[in-house]
Amino acid sequence: MCKISNIWVSGEAVSALTDLIAGAKTLADTVSVIVFGDGAQAAEAFAAGADKVYVIPGKDLLLEDYTPSLQNLIARENPRLLMLKTSKRMRLIAGRLAAAAKTSVITDVTALTFDGGAIIGEHMVYGGSAQRLEKSSAGLCVTLVPEGVFEAPPPAGASNGEIIEADFIQPSRKANLMERRPIVAESVNLAVAKKVVGIGRGVAKQEDISLIEQLAKAIGAEMACSRPIAEGANWMARERYIGVSGAMLKPDFYFAIGISGQIQHMVGVNNSKTIIAINNDKNAAIFKYADYGLVADLYAVVPKLIDKLNA
Amino acid sequence: MSMKVIACYKIVPEELDIIIKADRTLDMSKAVLKLGQYDLPAIEEAVQTAESAGGKAIILCAGPTEIDNSKLIKAALSRGAAELFMVVDDAMKTADASQTAGVLAAAAAKIGFDLIICGEGSSDIYAQQVGAQLGEQLQVNTFNAVNNIKLNNGSIIVERALEREIEVLDVPLPAVISVTTDINLPRIPQLKDILAAGKKPVTKWGLSELGVSIANPIDVVSTLAPESKERRQIIIEGDSDDKVEAFLQNIKKDL
Repeated sequence: MCKISNIWVSGEAVSALTDLIAGAKTLADTVSVIVFGDGAQAAEAFAAGADKVYVIPGKDLLLEDYTPSLQNLIARENPRLLMLKTSKRMRLIAGRLAAAAKTSVITDVTALTFDGGAIIGEHMVYGGSAQRLEKSSAGLCVTLVPEGVFEAPPPAGASNGEIIEADFIQPSRKANLMERRPIVAESVNLAVAKKVVGIGRGVAKQEDISLIEQLAKAIGAEMACSRPIAEGANWMARERYIGVSGAMLKPDFYFAIGISGQIQHMVGVNNSKTIIAINNDKNAAIFKYADYGLVADLYAVVPKLIDKLNA
Repeated sequence: MSMKVIACYKIVPEELDIIIKADRTLDMSKAVLKLGQYDLPAIEEAVQTAESAGGKAIILCAGPTEIDNSKLIKAALSRGAAELFMVVDDAMKTADASQTAGVLAAAAAKIGFDLIICGEGSSDIYAQQVGAQLGEQLQVNTFNAVNNIKLNNGSIIVERALEREIEVLDVPLPAVISVTTDINLPRIPQLKDILAAGKKPVTKWGLSELGVSIANPIDVVSTLAPESKERRQIIIEGDSDDKVEAFLQNIKKDL
Protein backbone atom coordinates (compact mmCIF):
# COMPACT_ATOMS: atom_id res chain seq x y z
CA MET A 1 0.00 0.00 0.00
CA CYS A 2 1.19 3.46 -0.88
CA LYS A 3 1.88 5.69 2.11
CA ILE A 4 1.94 9.42 2.81
CA SER A 5 5.54 10.60 2.73
CA ASN A 6 5.35 12.92 5.72
CA ILE A 7 2.79 13.40 8.52
CA TRP A 8 3.12 15.94 11.27
CA VAL A 9 1.49 15.30 14.62
CA SER A 10 0.95 17.86 17.35
CA GLY A 11 -1.21 18.74 20.30
CA GLU A 12 -1.27 20.44 23.68
CA ALA A 13 0.76 17.76 25.46
CA VAL A 14 3.11 15.24 23.88
CA SER A 15 2.11 12.67 26.50
CA ALA A 16 -1.41 12.66 25.02
CA LEU A 17 -0.22 12.05 21.46
CA THR A 18 0.67 8.35 21.58
CA ASP A 19 -2.53 7.32 19.77
CA LEU A 20 -2.06 9.88 17.00
CA ILE A 21 1.60 8.98 16.53
CA ALA A 22 0.66 5.28 16.28
CA GLY A 23 -2.11 6.12 13.80
CA ALA A 24 0.20 8.33 11.76
CA LYS A 25 2.75 5.51 11.55
CA THR A 26 0.18 3.30 9.81
CA LEU A 27 -0.36 6.03 7.20
CA ALA A 28 3.10 7.51 6.67
CA ASP A 29 6.73 6.67 6.06
CA THR A 30 7.95 9.49 8.28
CA VAL A 31 6.14 10.81 11.34
CA SER A 32 7.28 14.12 12.78
CA VAL A 33 6.05 15.51 16.08
CA ILE A 34 5.95 19.23 16.74
CA VAL A 35 6.80 20.17 20.32
CA PHE A 36 6.19 23.62 21.79
CA GLY A 37 8.50 25.20 24.35
CA ASP A 38 10.19 22.49 26.35
CA GLY A 39 12.47 20.32 24.19
CA ALA A 40 12.56 17.65 26.90
CA GLN A 41 9.20 16.46 25.61
CA ALA A 42 11.02 15.12 22.52
CA ALA A 43 11.95 11.94 24.41
CA GLU A 44 8.27 11.13 24.95
CA ALA A 45 7.60 11.61 21.24
CA PHE A 46 10.42 9.25 20.28
CA ALA A 47 9.23 6.69 22.82
CA ALA A 48 5.82 6.81 21.17
CA GLY A 49 7.38 6.16 17.76
CA ALA A 50 8.14 9.57 16.25
CA ASP A 51 10.88 9.59 13.59
CA LYS A 52 11.61 13.28 13.89
CA VAL A 53 10.82 16.00 16.42
CA TYR A 54 10.66 19.70 15.67
CA VAL A 55 11.01 21.87 18.76
CA ILE A 56 9.68 25.42 18.60
CA PRO A 57 11.43 27.17 21.48
CA GLY A 58 9.57 29.56 23.76
CA LYS A 59 8.76 30.33 27.37
CA ASP A 60 5.78 31.77 29.25
CA LEU A 61 3.60 31.90 26.17
CA LEU A 62 0.06 31.02 25.30
CA LEU A 63 0.07 27.94 23.09
CA GLU A 64 -1.66 30.15 20.51
CA ASP A 65 1.45 32.35 20.38
CA TYR A 66 3.32 29.52 18.62
CA THR A 67 0.94 29.74 15.64
CA PRO A 68 3.11 32.09 13.48
CA SER A 69 6.13 29.82 14.09
CA LEU A 70 4.10 26.79 13.05
CA GLN A 71 2.81 28.62 9.98
CA ASN A 72 6.39 29.45 9.07
CA LEU A 73 7.55 25.86 9.57
CA ILE A 74 4.71 24.48 7.45
CA ALA A 75 5.39 26.92 4.63
CA ARG A 76 9.05 25.86 4.62
CA GLU A 77 8.72 22.09 4.99
CA ASN A 78 5.42 21.40 3.20
CA PRO A 79 4.05 18.43 5.16
CA ARG A 80 1.17 16.66 3.39
CA LEU A 81 -0.91 15.94 6.47
CA LEU A 82 -1.17 17.63 9.84
CA MET A 83 -2.87 15.60 12.58
CA LEU A 84 -3.73 17.77 15.58
CA LYS A 85 -5.20 16.30 18.76
CA THR A 86 -8.63 17.85 19.27
CA SER A 87 -8.89 20.42 22.05
CA LYS A 88 -10.20 23.96 22.18
CA ARG A 89 -6.79 25.54 21.78
CA MET A 90 -5.80 23.20 18.95
CA ARG A 91 -9.11 23.88 17.21
CA LEU A 92 -8.23 27.57 17.15
CA ILE A 93 -4.66 26.93 16.04
CA ALA A 94 -5.86 24.50 13.31
CA GLY A 95 -8.16 27.18 11.92
CA ARG A 96 -5.42 29.78 11.89
CA LEU A 97 -2.97 27.39 10.19
CA ALA A 98 -5.53 26.41 7.57
CA ALA A 99 -6.47 30.03 6.88
CA ALA A 100 -2.82 30.95 6.39
CA ALA A 101 -2.31 27.99 4.04
CA LYS A 102 -5.63 28.69 2.26
CA THR A 103 -7.06 25.28 2.99
CA SER A 104 -9.83 23.75 5.12
CA VAL A 105 -9.71 21.71 8.29
CA ILE A 106 -11.31 18.29 8.43
CA THR A 107 -12.51 18.50 12.01
CA ASP A 108 -13.17 15.81 14.59
CA VAL A 109 -12.46 12.96 12.21
CA THR A 110 -14.00 9.62 13.13
CA ALA A 111 -11.79 7.85 10.58
CA LEU A 112 -8.77 8.88 8.55
CA THR A 113 -7.45 6.90 5.55
CA PHE A 114 -5.11 7.29 2.60
CA ASP A 115 -6.27 5.98 -0.74
CA GLY A 116 -4.83 6.51 -4.20
CA GLY A 117 -2.99 9.67 -3.22
CA ALA A 118 -5.99 11.21 -1.43
CA ILE A 119 -6.44 11.71 2.29
CA ILE A 120 -10.00 10.89 3.29
CA GLY A 121 -11.45 12.01 6.59
CA GLU A 122 -14.85 11.11 7.98
CA HIS A 123 -16.79 13.38 10.32
CA MET A 124 -20.30 13.92 11.60
CA VAL A 125 -22.66 16.53 10.14
CA TYR A 126 -26.24 17.66 10.76
CA GLY A 127 -26.13 17.05 14.48
CA GLY A 128 -25.11 13.44 13.95
CA SER A 129 -27.72 12.61 11.30
CA ALA A 130 -24.97 11.77 8.83
CA GLN A 131 -21.30 11.00 8.36
CA ARG A 132 -19.53 12.97 5.69
CA LEU A 133 -16.43 11.80 3.82
CA GLU A 134 -14.09 14.59 2.77
CA LYS A 135 -11.12 14.23 0.47
CA SER A 136 -7.92 16.21 0.21
CA SER A 137 -6.12 15.41 -3.05
CA ALA A 138 -3.10 17.68 -2.82
CA GLY A 139 -1.44 20.37 -0.75
CA LEU A 140 -1.62 20.62 3.01
CA CYS A 141 -4.43 18.72 4.74
CA VAL A 142 -5.18 19.87 8.30
CA THR A 143 -7.15 17.51 10.54
CA LEU A 144 -8.34 17.55 14.13
CA VAL A 145 -8.30 14.04 15.56
CA PRO A 146 -10.00 13.28 18.87
CA GLU A 147 -9.18 10.52 21.35
CA GLY A 148 -10.36 7.10 20.33
CA VAL A 149 -9.85 7.16 16.54
CA PHE A 150 -6.51 5.37 16.76
CA GLU A 151 -5.35 2.97 19.43
CA ALA A 152 -2.40 3.90 21.59
CA PRO A 153 0.04 1.00 21.71
CA PRO A 154 2.06 0.28 24.84
CA PRO A 155 5.20 2.49 24.91
CA ALA A 156 8.01 0.93 22.90
CA GLY A 157 10.64 2.13 25.32
CA ALA A 158 12.92 5.11 24.99
CA SER A 159 14.63 5.67 21.69
CA ASN A 160 16.29 8.60 20.08
CA GLY A 161 15.80 10.39 16.83
CA GLU A 162 16.47 13.53 14.96
CA ILE A 163 15.64 16.74 16.85
CA ILE A 164 15.29 19.89 14.78
CA GLU A 165 15.13 23.25 16.48
CA ALA A 166 12.68 25.44 14.57
CA ASP A 167 12.64 29.24 14.46
CA PHE A 168 10.45 31.09 16.90
CA ILE A 169 8.53 33.79 15.07
CA GLN A 170 7.37 36.58 17.34
CA PRO A 171 3.59 36.97 16.96
CA SER A 172 2.58 40.36 15.63
CA ARG A 173 -0.65 40.27 17.63
CA LYS A 174 -0.93 39.14 21.21
CA ALA A 175 -3.37 38.92 24.07
CA ASN A 176 -2.20 39.40 27.64
CA LEU A 177 -2.79 36.58 30.06
CA MET A 178 -4.42 37.96 33.19
CA GLU A 179 -5.43 34.88 35.08
CA ARG A 180 -5.78 31.10 34.91
CA ARG A 181 -8.08 29.18 37.21
CA PRO A 182 -8.21 25.41 37.12
CA ILE A 183 -11.67 23.99 36.55
CA VAL A 184 -12.52 21.68 39.38
CA ALA A 185 -13.77 18.91 37.18
CA GLU A 186 -15.64 15.97 38.49
CA SER A 187 -13.52 12.96 37.67
CA VAL A 188 -15.88 10.82 35.69
CA ASN A 189 -14.93 8.68 32.75
CA LEU A 190 -18.21 7.77 31.14
CA ALA A 191 -16.39 6.18 28.22
CA VAL A 192 -15.43 3.17 30.33
CA ALA A 193 -18.83 2.69 31.98
CA LYS A 194 -20.60 -0.51 30.89
CA LYS A 195 -23.98 0.74 32.02
CA VAL A 196 -25.18 4.31 31.78
CA VAL A 197 -28.39 6.00 32.93
CA GLY A 198 -29.12 9.26 31.11
CA ILE A 199 -31.64 11.87 32.22
CA GLY A 200 -33.29 14.61 30.21
CA ARG A 201 -35.82 17.36 30.54
CA GLY A 202 -38.47 14.90 31.73
CA VAL A 203 -36.86 15.23 35.16
CA ALA A 204 -38.66 18.27 36.56
CA LYS A 205 -36.41 19.42 39.40
CA GLN A 206 -32.76 19.13 40.37
CA GLU A 207 -33.77 17.46 43.66
CA ASP A 208 -35.39 14.68 41.66
CA ILE A 209 -32.03 13.55 40.28
CA SER A 210 -31.42 11.67 43.54
CA LEU A 211 -34.35 9.41 42.68
CA ILE A 212 -32.71 8.46 39.37
CA GLU A 213 -29.38 8.04 41.15
CA GLN A 214 -30.99 5.38 43.35
CA LEU A 215 -32.05 3.53 40.22
CA ALA A 216 -28.57 3.87 38.69
CA LYS A 217 -27.08 2.51 41.91
CA ALA A 218 -29.46 -0.44 41.92
CA ILE A 219 -28.28 -1.51 38.47
CA GLY A 220 -24.65 -0.42 38.90
CA ALA A 221 -24.78 2.31 36.27
CA GLU A 222 -22.99 5.64 35.85
CA MET A 223 -25.14 8.78 35.62
CA ALA A 224 -25.24 10.94 32.49
CA CYS A 225 -27.60 13.48 30.93
CA SER A 226 -28.67 15.41 27.85
CA ARG A 227 -27.11 18.80 27.07
CA PRO A 228 -29.83 21.04 28.62
CA ILE A 229 -29.41 19.34 32.01
CA ALA A 230 -25.69 20.20 32.09
CA GLU A 231 -25.72 23.47 30.17
CA GLY A 232 -28.39 25.97 30.98
CA ALA A 233 -29.87 24.10 33.92
CA ASN A 234 -26.40 23.31 35.36
CA TRP A 235 -27.86 20.40 37.29
CA MET A 236 -25.06 18.04 36.36
CA ALA A 237 -21.38 18.40 35.42
CA ARG A 238 -20.40 19.09 31.82
CA GLU A 239 -18.44 15.86 31.74
CA ARG A 240 -21.70 13.98 32.07
CA TYR A 241 -23.57 15.19 29.06
CA ILE A 242 -23.94 12.91 26.09
CA GLY A 243 -24.16 14.04 22.50
CA VAL A 244 -22.57 15.47 19.43
CA SER A 245 -20.74 18.19 21.35
CA GLY A 246 -20.34 16.14 24.54
CA ALA A 247 -19.48 12.55 25.45
CA MET A 248 -19.66 9.89 22.76
CA LEU A 249 -20.29 6.53 24.42
CA LYS A 250 -20.58 2.87 23.55
CA PRO A 251 -21.93 1.21 26.71
CA ASP A 252 -23.49 -2.24 26.88
CA PHE A 253 -26.61 -0.76 28.39
CA TYR A 254 -28.07 2.72 28.04
CA PHE A 255 -31.15 3.63 30.08
CA ALA A 256 -32.75 6.91 28.92
CA ILE A 257 -35.13 8.47 31.44
CA GLY A 258 -37.18 11.51 30.45
CA ILE A 259 -35.11 11.94 27.29
CA SER A 260 -36.96 12.83 24.09
CA GLY A 261 -34.39 11.25 21.77
CA GLN A 262 -33.13 14.13 19.62
CA ILE A 263 -30.49 13.07 17.13
CA GLN A 264 -27.84 15.31 18.74
CA HIS A 265 -28.16 13.29 21.92
CA MET A 266 -28.72 9.86 20.40
CA VAL A 267 -25.60 10.03 18.25
CA GLY A 268 -23.66 9.79 21.51
CA VAL A 269 -25.24 6.48 22.52
CA ASN A 270 -26.35 4.98 19.18
CA ASN A 271 -23.78 2.23 19.44
CA SER A 272 -24.96 0.98 22.82
CA LYS A 273 -25.69 -2.74 22.79
CA THR A 274 -29.06 -2.25 24.47
CA ILE A 275 -31.12 0.93 24.75
CA ILE A 276 -33.93 1.21 27.30
CA ALA A 277 -36.29 4.17 27.59
CA ILE A 278 -38.90 5.57 29.94
CA ASN A 279 -40.88 8.53 28.65
CA ASN A 280 -44.45 9.71 29.21
CA ASP A 281 -44.86 10.63 25.52
CA LYS A 282 -45.45 7.51 23.47
CA ASN A 283 -44.54 9.44 20.31
CA ALA A 284 -41.14 10.48 21.67
CA ALA A 285 -38.33 9.75 19.21
CA ILE A 286 -36.45 7.83 21.89
CA PHE A 287 -38.75 4.81 21.44
CA LYS A 288 -37.57 4.42 17.84
CA TYR A 289 -34.08 3.80 19.18
CA ALA A 290 -35.15 1.61 22.09
CA ASP A 291 -34.92 -2.13 22.54
CA TYR A 292 -37.26 -1.94 25.53
CA GLY A 293 -39.49 0.95 26.41
CA LEU A 294 -42.01 1.95 29.05
CA VAL A 295 -44.52 4.67 28.23
CA ALA A 296 -45.27 6.09 31.67
CA ASP A 297 -44.67 8.97 34.04
CA LEU A 298 -41.17 8.43 35.36
CA TYR A 299 -42.23 9.64 38.82
CA ALA A 300 -44.81 6.84 38.98
CA VAL A 301 -42.60 4.01 37.75
CA VAL A 302 -39.02 4.75 38.81
CA PRO A 303 -39.77 4.26 42.57
CA LYS A 304 -41.44 0.94 41.74
CA LEU A 305 -38.43 -0.16 39.71
CA ILE A 306 -36.07 0.77 42.55
CA ASP A 307 -38.14 -1.22 45.05
CA LYS A 308 -38.24 -4.26 42.80
CA LEU A 309 -34.52 -4.10 41.98
CA ASN A 310 -33.59 -3.73 45.64
CA ALA A 311 -36.03 -6.37 46.84
CA MET B 1 -15.72 56.92 18.47
CA SER B 2 -18.58 54.58 18.54
CA MET B 3 -17.88 50.87 18.71
CA LYS B 4 -18.95 48.63 15.83
CA VAL B 5 -19.78 45.07 16.81
CA ILE B 6 -20.64 42.49 14.16
CA ALA B 7 -22.27 39.14 14.95
CA CYS B 8 -22.09 36.45 12.26
CA TYR B 9 -24.73 33.80 11.85
CA LYS B 10 -25.61 30.99 9.48
CA ILE B 11 -28.96 29.91 8.10
CA VAL B 12 -29.19 26.12 8.47
CA PRO B 13 -31.73 23.37 7.79
CA GLU B 14 -33.76 22.17 10.80
CA GLU B 15 -32.02 18.85 11.43
CA LEU B 16 -35.17 17.32 12.93
CA ASP B 17 -36.81 17.64 9.48
CA ILE B 18 -34.07 15.79 7.62
CA ILE B 19 -35.42 12.56 6.16
CA ILE B 20 -33.08 9.61 5.84
CA LYS B 21 -33.77 7.65 2.68
CA ALA B 22 -33.42 3.89 2.25
CA ASP B 23 -30.03 4.31 0.56
CA ARG B 24 -28.88 6.35 3.63
CA THR B 25 -28.72 9.60 1.66
CA LEU B 26 -30.43 12.65 3.17
CA ASP B 27 -33.58 14.26 1.87
CA MET B 28 -33.49 17.94 2.85
CA SER B 29 -36.58 18.98 0.90
CA LYS B 30 -38.80 19.03 4.02
CA ALA B 31 -36.21 20.76 6.22
CA VAL B 32 -37.25 24.33 6.99
CA LEU B 33 -34.48 26.89 7.29
CA LYS B 34 -33.65 28.52 10.63
CA LEU B 35 -30.99 30.56 12.38
CA GLY B 36 -28.20 28.35 13.66
CA GLN B 37 -28.85 27.65 17.34
CA TYR B 38 -25.22 28.27 18.37
CA ASP B 39 -25.33 31.67 16.64
CA LEU B 40 -28.13 33.08 18.80
CA PRO B 41 -25.79 33.73 21.77
CA ALA B 42 -23.37 35.47 19.35
CA ILE B 43 -26.10 37.88 18.21
CA GLU B 44 -27.25 38.46 21.80
CA GLU B 45 -23.69 39.14 22.98
CA ALA B 46 -23.06 41.61 20.13
CA VAL B 47 -26.25 43.48 21.01
CA GLN B 48 -25.40 43.61 24.73
CA THR B 49 -21.77 44.61 24.08
CA ALA B 50 -22.76 47.37 21.66
CA GLU B 51 -25.35 48.60 24.15
CA SER B 52 -22.89 48.85 27.03
CA ALA B 53 -20.28 50.50 24.77
CA GLY B 54 -22.79 52.91 23.31
CA GLY B 55 -21.98 51.44 19.92
CA LYS B 56 -23.77 49.70 17.11
CA ALA B 57 -24.62 46.01 16.71
CA ILE B 58 -24.60 44.74 13.15
CA ILE B 59 -25.43 41.23 11.97
CA LEU B 60 -23.84 39.53 9.01
CA CYS B 61 -24.65 36.33 7.21
CA ALA B 62 -23.62 34.63 3.97
CA GLY B 63 -25.38 31.91 2.03
CA PRO B 64 -27.27 30.88 -1.10
CA THR B 65 -30.41 32.66 -2.40
CA GLU B 66 -32.70 30.77 0.03
CA ILE B 67 -31.40 32.92 2.90
CA ASP B 68 -32.84 36.02 1.24
CA ASN B 69 -36.22 35.41 2.83
CA SER B 70 -38.18 38.05 4.74
CA LYS B 71 -39.13 35.68 7.56
CA LEU B 72 -35.49 34.67 8.15
CA ILE B 73 -34.36 38.29 7.90
CA LYS B 74 -36.94 39.36 10.50
CA ALA B 75 -36.04 36.40 12.72
CA ALA B 76 -32.46 37.66 12.79
CA LEU B 77 -33.14 41.41 13.06
CA SER B 78 -35.76 40.92 15.79
CA ARG B 79 -32.94 39.96 18.16
CA GLY B 80 -31.77 43.50 18.78
CA ALA B 81 -29.17 44.36 16.12
CA ALA B 82 -29.56 47.65 14.24
CA GLU B 83 -28.64 46.55 10.76
CA LEU B 84 -28.15 43.45 8.60
CA PHE B 85 -25.59 42.75 5.87
CA MET B 86 -26.09 39.65 3.74
CA VAL B 87 -23.82 38.06 1.18
CA VAL B 88 -26.22 36.20 -1.08
CA ASP B 89 -24.80 33.98 -3.77
CA ASP B 90 -25.65 30.46 -4.89
CA ALA B 91 -21.95 29.67 -4.99
CA MET B 92 -22.26 29.62 -1.15
CA LYS B 93 -24.48 26.54 -1.29
CA THR B 94 -21.65 24.12 -0.62
CA ALA B 95 -19.29 26.55 1.12
CA ASP B 96 -17.31 25.04 3.97
CA ALA B 97 -15.90 26.90 6.97
CA SER B 98 -12.81 28.08 5.11
CA GLN B 99 -14.77 29.49 2.19
CA THR B 100 -17.38 31.03 4.48
CA ALA B 101 -14.62 32.69 6.51
CA GLY B 102 -13.16 34.15 3.31
CA VAL B 103 -16.49 35.63 2.28
CA LEU B 104 -17.26 36.97 5.77
CA ALA B 105 -13.77 38.49 5.96
CA ALA B 106 -14.33 40.44 2.74
CA ALA B 107 -17.75 41.62 3.95
CA ALA B 108 -16.52 42.58 7.43
CA ALA B 109 -13.59 44.51 5.99
CA LYS B 110 -16.02 46.47 3.85
CA ILE B 111 -18.41 47.15 6.77
CA GLY B 112 -15.62 48.00 9.22
CA PHE B 113 -15.58 46.64 12.78
CA ASP B 114 -14.02 46.75 16.23
CA LEU B 115 -15.25 43.35 17.35
CA ILE B 116 -16.71 40.37 15.51
CA ILE B 117 -18.58 37.71 17.49
CA CYS B 118 -19.21 34.24 16.07
CA GLY B 119 -21.06 31.29 17.57
CA GLU B 120 -19.39 28.12 18.77
CA GLY B 121 -20.07 26.39 15.44
CA SER B 122 -22.75 26.04 12.80
CA SER B 123 -25.57 23.70 13.79
CA ASP B 124 -25.32 21.81 10.49
CA ILE B 125 -21.61 21.17 9.91
CA TYR B 126 -20.32 22.12 13.40
CA ALA B 127 -16.68 22.33 12.32
CA GLN B 128 -16.23 25.22 14.79
CA GLN B 129 -13.75 26.83 12.42
CA VAL B 130 -15.25 30.03 11.01
CA GLY B 131 -14.25 32.30 13.92
CA ALA B 132 -10.60 31.17 13.94
CA GLN B 133 -10.24 31.37 10.17
CA LEU B 134 -12.06 34.70 9.93
CA GLY B 135 -9.73 36.21 12.54
CA GLU B 136 -6.64 34.91 10.77
CA GLN B 137 -7.83 36.11 7.37
CA LEU B 138 -8.53 39.56 8.80
CA GLN B 139 -5.14 39.50 10.58
CA VAL B 140 -6.64 40.39 13.96
CA ASN B 141 -6.61 38.75 17.38
CA THR B 142 -8.87 35.72 17.52
CA PHE B 143 -9.93 33.48 20.39
CA ASN B 144 -12.51 30.75 20.88
CA ALA B 145 -14.42 29.14 23.77
CA VAL B 146 -15.24 32.56 25.22
CA ASN B 147 -17.93 32.57 27.87
CA ASN B 148 -17.62 36.14 29.12
CA ILE B 149 -16.72 39.46 27.49
CA LYS B 150 -16.03 42.70 29.39
CA LEU B 151 -15.14 45.98 27.74
CA ASN B 152 -11.83 47.53 28.63
CA ASN B 153 -10.12 50.59 27.18
CA GLY B 154 -9.38 49.67 23.55
CA SER B 155 -9.50 46.01 24.42
CA ILE B 156 -11.82 43.37 25.80
CA ILE B 157 -11.32 41.09 28.78
CA VAL B 158 -12.47 37.62 27.78
CA GLU B 159 -12.90 34.47 29.79
CA ARG B 160 -12.22 31.25 27.92
CA ALA B 161 -13.66 27.97 29.15
CA LEU B 162 -10.96 25.48 28.15
CA GLU B 163 -10.88 21.77 28.99
CA ARG B 164 -9.12 22.07 32.34
CA GLU B 165 -8.97 25.76 33.08
CA ILE B 166 -10.62 29.12 32.79
CA GLU B 167 -8.27 31.53 31.08
CA VAL B 168 -8.73 35.29 31.35
CA LEU B 169 -7.17 37.32 28.53
CA ASP B 170 -6.95 40.99 27.75
CA VAL B 171 -7.44 41.04 23.98
CA PRO B 172 -6.62 44.24 22.07
CA LEU B 173 -9.25 45.25 19.51
CA PRO B 174 -10.02 44.70 16.70
CA ALA B 175 -10.70 41.03 17.38
CA VAL B 176 -12.79 38.04 16.34
CA ILE B 177 -14.25 36.05 19.23
CA SER B 178 -16.16 32.75 19.15
CA VAL B 179 -18.55 32.42 22.09
CA THR B 180 -19.97 29.40 23.89
CA THR B 181 -23.68 28.76 24.38
CA ASP B 182 -23.14 29.58 28.07
CA ILE B 183 -22.27 33.23 27.55
CA ASN B 184 -25.85 34.48 27.81
CA LEU B 185 -29.47 33.50 27.47
CA PRO B 186 -30.57 34.78 24.04
CA ARG B 187 -33.74 36.87 24.14
CA ILE B 188 -37.00 35.57 22.75
CA PRO B 189 -38.20 38.19 20.25
CA GLN B 190 -41.61 39.68 21.01
CA LEU B 191 -44.16 40.73 18.40
CA LYS B 192 -43.04 44.37 18.60
CA ASP B 193 -39.44 43.28 17.94
CA ILE B 194 -40.51 41.36 14.86
CA LEU B 195 -42.49 44.35 13.60
CA ALA B 196 -39.57 46.70 14.25
CA ALA B 197 -37.23 44.26 12.44
CA GLY B 198 -39.11 44.90 9.20
CA LYS B 199 -38.01 48.55 9.28
CA LYS B 200 -34.30 47.98 9.86
CA PRO B 201 -31.79 48.50 7.02
CA VAL B 202 -30.69 45.44 5.04
CA THR B 203 -27.75 45.51 2.62
CA LYS B 204 -27.24 42.66 0.15
CA TRP B 205 -24.04 41.90 -1.70
CA GLY B 206 -23.05 39.24 -4.22
CA LEU B 207 -19.61 37.59 -4.23
CA SER B 208 -18.53 39.65 -7.24
CA GLU B 209 -19.27 42.91 -5.42
CA LEU B 210 -16.95 41.76 -2.64
CA GLY B 211 -14.34 40.63 -5.10
CA VAL B 212 -14.12 37.11 -3.64
CA SER B 213 -14.36 33.76 -5.34
CA ILE B 214 -14.78 30.35 -3.80
CA ALA B 215 -11.98 27.79 -4.18
CA ASN B 216 -12.39 24.22 -3.04
CA PRO B 217 -9.33 22.57 -1.47
CA ILE B 218 -11.42 19.77 0.07
CA ASP B 219 -14.00 17.71 -1.85
CA VAL B 220 -17.04 16.18 -0.25
CA VAL B 221 -17.07 12.52 -1.27
CA SER B 222 -20.35 11.50 0.36
CA THR B 223 -22.81 12.39 3.11
CA LEU B 224 -24.62 9.32 4.42
CA ALA B 225 -26.62 8.51 7.51
CA PRO B 226 -24.84 6.03 9.75
CA GLU B 227 -26.04 2.47 9.40
CA SER B 228 -28.76 2.20 11.96
CA LYS B 229 -28.72 -0.60 14.44
CA GLU B 230 -31.81 -2.81 14.48
CA ARG B 231 -33.64 -2.25 17.75
CA ARG B 232 -36.15 -4.65 19.26
CA GLN B 233 -38.68 -1.90 20.04
CA ILE B 234 -40.60 -3.84 22.66
CA ILE B 235 -42.61 -1.00 24.18
CA ILE B 236 -45.01 -1.35 27.11
CA GLU B 237 -47.57 1.34 27.98
CA GLY B 238 -48.81 2.09 31.50
CA ASP B 239 -47.61 2.51 35.07
CA SER B 240 -49.45 -0.30 36.85
CA ASP B 241 -47.49 -2.84 38.87
CA ASP B 242 -47.94 -5.51 36.19
CA LYS B 243 -46.63 -3.25 33.44
CA VAL B 244 -43.63 -2.18 35.49
CA GLU B 245 -42.90 -5.81 36.35
CA ALA B 246 -43.14 -6.83 32.67
CA PHE B 247 -40.80 -3.99 31.71
CA LEU B 248 -38.35 -5.00 34.42
CA GLN B 249 -38.36 -8.63 33.24
CA ASN B 250 -37.57 -7.36 29.72
CA ILE B 251 -34.63 -5.23 30.74
CA LYS B 252 -33.27 -7.82 33.18
CA LYS B 253 -32.37 -9.99 30.19
CA ASP B 254 -29.76 -7.40 29.23
CA LEU B 255 -28.74 -6.07 32.63
